[in-house]
Amino acid sequence: MKLAAMVCIGAVLLASGCGNNGRQAPGTVVYNCPANAAEVAVLQKEIPVFAETSGVTITLHPFTGQEKLYAMMAAGKAPDIFYTSGVMRDQLASEGRLLDLRQVSGGDPFVGRLWPHSIQSGTSPDGGWYSVGNWEFTCGVYYRKDLFDAAGIRHPDTAWTWDDCVAAARALTVRPDSSQPPSRYGIFIGSHFVEALEIMNGSRFPSNGLTLTVPETSLEVYRAYLSLMDEELMPDVRRVQAMGMQAPQLLQTGRVAMLVEAVPHQTLIETLSVPWGVAPLPRFKGKAPAYFRSSSGGLSVSSSTADPRATWKALVWIISGTSIYQPNPVLRDVDFTSGWERRYPSLAGSGFREVWDLSLKHNGGDPRFFVRFSSWTSGPILEKLQPLLDRLWSRELSVEELNASVHGINAGVRSQLEETLRHRTLQPAFRSHLEQALKELNEPPSH
Amino acid sequence: MARPSQWETLLASAGRYAVSYGILIVLGAVFMLPLLWMLSVSVQDAEGVFAQPFQWVPEHPRWENFRDAVTVFPFGRYLANTAIITAAVVLFTLLSSSLVAYGFSRMRFHGRDLLFAICLSTMMLPGQVTMIPLYVAYARLGWIDTWYPLIVPALFGSPFYIFLLRQFFLTIPREYDEAALLDGAGKLRIYWSIILPLARPALATVALFSFVGTWNDFFGPLIYINTPEKATLTLGLQMLKAQIVGTGTVQWHILMAASLLVMVPNVIVFFLAQKHFIRGLQMGGLRG
Amino acid sequence: MNPRTRTSRTMTLLRRDAAGYAFIAPWLLGFLLLTAGPMAVSVYLSGTSWTMLSSPFPVGLSNYSAILSDDPLFVTSLLNTLYYVAFAVPLGLLISLSLALLLHQRVKGIGVFRTLFFLPSITNLVAISMLWLWIFNPEYGLLNGILSLAGIRGPLWLQSEAWAKPSLILMSLWGVGGTMMVFLAALQGIPEELYEAANLDGAGRFRRFLHITLPMISPAMLFNLTMGIIGSFQVFTQAYVMTGTAQPGSEGGPNNATLFVVLYLYKKAFQEFRMGYASALAWILFALILAVTLLQLRMAKRWVHYEAGEQ
Repeated sequence: MKLAAMVCIGAVLLASGCGNNGRQAPGTVVYNCPANAAEVAVLQKEIPVFAETSGVTITLHPFTGQEKLYAMMAAGKAPDIFYTSGVMRDQLASEGRLLDLRQVSGGDPFVGRLWPHSIQSGTSPDGGWYSVGNWEFTCGVYYRKDLFDAAGIRHPDTAWTWDDCVAAARALTVRPDSSQPPSRYGIFIGSHFVEALEIMNGSRFPSNGLTLTVPETSLEVYRAYLSLMDEELMPDVRRVQAMGMQAPQLLQTGRVAMLVEAVPHQTLIETLSVPWGVAPLPRFKGKAPAYFRSSSGGLSVSSSTADPRATWKALVWIISGTSIYQPNPVLRDVDFTSGWERRYPSLAGSGFREVWDLSLKHNGGDPRFFVRFSSWTSGPILEKLQPLLDRLWSRELSVEELNASVHGINAGVRSQLEETLRHRTLQPAFRSHLEQALKELNEPPSH
Repeated sequence: MARPSQWETLLASAGRYAVSYGILIVLGAVFMLPLLWMLSVSVQDAEGVFAQPFQWVPEHPRWENFRDAVTVFPFGRYLANTAIITAAVVLFTLLSSSLVAYGFSRMRFHGRDLLFAICLSTMMLPGQVTMIPLYVAYARLGWIDTWYPLIVPALFGSPFYIFLLRQFFLTIPREYDEAALLDGAGKLRIYWSIILPLARPALATVALFSFVGTWNDFFGPLIYINTPEKATLTLGLQMLKAQIVGTGTVQWHILMAASLLVMVPNVIVFFLAQKHFIRGLQMGGLRG
Repeated sequence: MNPRTRTSRTMTLLRRDAAGYAFIAPWLLGFLLLTAGPMAVSVYLSGTSWTMLSSPFPVGLSNYSAILSDDPLFVTSLLNTLYYVAFAVPLGLLISLSLALLLHQRVKGIGVFRTLFFLPSITNLVAISMLWLWIFNPEYGLLNGILSLAGIRGPLWLQSEAWAKPSLILMSLWGVGGTMMVFLAALQGIPEELYEAANLDGAGRFRRFLHITLPMISPAMLFNLTMGIIGSFQVFTQAYVMTGTAQPGSEGGPNNATLFVVLYLYKKAFQEFRMGYASALAWILFALILAVTLLQLRMAKRWVHYEAGEQ
């Protein structure tokens, strides 16, 4: 009995040693890819081919989540290539953890292939280029062509206005019994796309903004959005925005006739079996259009990477060479819309091409709250803003009250910036940027 | 063909326990409902999850989901990895936690209660703040991307199981110890030959919890394992939730199928551990 | 006392201590090697400002003073956590004990039922989260579906400020399988003879329960109560995974209804890069849990009975 136990223990100890070759082969580039089974499988097939042609071997560490990334950085073992969001990038760069890609990309024709706005969105206040976007998207209004036809309304076109949209929503809302909620709502707009409407109405926000600004044009949009719910043209946003909800179902089942969602949206395109089209966001009368377009972060390189040139080559390949991200919208010489139309024939004639081209022509950037603010103030602002927004959408707070809270939120931002400057070890360029910003915050502008 | 007397007895039993059965069935249904949902989703297609109204029994069950679940990521290898890690952890946990629990419950020594309080208090600090110092320590040892951080702590016992076993050991009458002492047995022998057998339900509980906990452990493997070849089943399951932008859709139906498959060993272990929950342990022999 | 007797008595005590320490050596060693170090480091970090990316910057006790005097969200998170503990623990104990009593019968097929009740606690967390998101879905979910059969328009559950915490508490009750198993193991240890003796004395079912069952399982009850408190104070994963919207950084529920202390400190650490502040939050929570547990253990001396055979 004891002997058996000993043997068991011995075997188990031996077996546990199996998992023990933690040494990484030298000369490899460690890529922290998303933990997505399909992607990993494809990459594992294509990496050996890339290694043969370029001499650079990529090792995959698939995982998602920041805890592990920061733990690895703290231990000095950061992966060479990893994803950073806009908020993360400046923080990491300001502490010297990211490689300025200008140092390794000089003369590489790849740089010319990227959209200028792509490069811009990966640039930090010190002028350094710290991340390369690997995806971009815009948003649009998906609509049920058959429901429009049945109600006798003209399909949306690229010049349609907010008033057209509301009128269509009114005509499409079906309410058999005035005591019950509508059986079909005209439209649904998720609350995180309200900011996209704000820029259509003329609000302008600096990227990496340090403070919260809510101009009158934004307040107008909030009122218009709330009135959609008041008039019951749109379901209560909390009912429908629950996590785990798949927006496509709303459109597929005809619960809503119009749906604002990302373009392209793979699930929508693949699952909709009803006649559908997509239109750009409606314009506001008299306002120059600025369409939502986001890069949602990008790939960065660790400053402690062993072989920056090899890592750069790997990065270029990931963005432009693997089959996963192709056609990649960050590359200007790639015909993105044709590529997707080939993959999904239903896109042809749906309005997709027009929506996409408009977002390039009048690129309004990504004004969503969780993207809009700089690394240092995003947390403090959202901490106070998010609960206010929750209460606004659930009608416990008025638009005026929200407006009145902006001042208090920015006061908190100021103290946060002061603490950051006092305590953090920041790279000089970032420190002076923050000091300058704080000075401007404390003194009103002279003009 | 059943014998008439056996049938009659069965009927009588059923009648006697009708009320219990009734309550059990109702409650069981409540507890089962979510799992029936999982089962239902696991044989549907991608949109089935969100169909309104939800179709409990799909017209054409997609049994291929289970085959897909096994091929989407290296299921077999992850299964083997998880099995090895879990076996090691369960074994070490049982041995070390029972040893320590015996010390805290049966032995008297200076500082015992203080040390026990310290033992308990280590569970009161959220792991999020000790995670990075611990990671850095393991990195210095070169244990990152190995299984050591997952297995070695089990050698030292876990406060949760130490506490549990201590409570159970304290319910075992001291007469057994004293009788054995009179027979000349040492503390270690008492522990091994007397206390352990008497604490079978508790040990079965610890084995069960430890198995399930390690099998389903997500955070440990996530943090300490880098290369996919060494990953565990829970990491594999995570990989069925696709990333956000444009590169794929979450395959809930395959995820549910895979989750069900991952649950199977836990259910088997549960049935095995259940044996030790049947009353009828003969406490006699030493009595009287 | 005779010096020789005193020495030999000391020797006996030392030998006794040595034996005791030998048995707890595994834990003690592990504590010193693996746990004490990181815990000490996190105490140090709580007195610093640390982004995890560069060296910690000492700030004395200002983290603590900021938390205790100038942090309304901390107060919110504390109240949320206390609410959760106050409901989840007693309800959980009640339900798991009831289930354990139900399952402690020698009835045909009881094993199947035991499995059914235990299955939820061995299910993968991702599957559970998805499952309950569907159950709680205000539009299409199972709960509101059932309620609508009775003509009630169900609340918004996780999207509602008032119902978000009760939703999570309800979810935790579904997972009482583990607690139930501990009770079951304890019930199995009660000698049949005690019940027989009570029967002979003419005690009814309720009196038998009150005077035999409850005292005999009181050590297990203490364990479940203590672990329930320690665990509930640190509620995190469900709130992190399931509350909030599609926007990153919005975890914490509508108007921060499900912002628990550990979720709050997680956000401070990994979303705002304020690990020093988060460490201070963790230690304040630690002090609170410790105080509650010690209080609870002291009171336990009155109702917990060890050693079968003692009346």
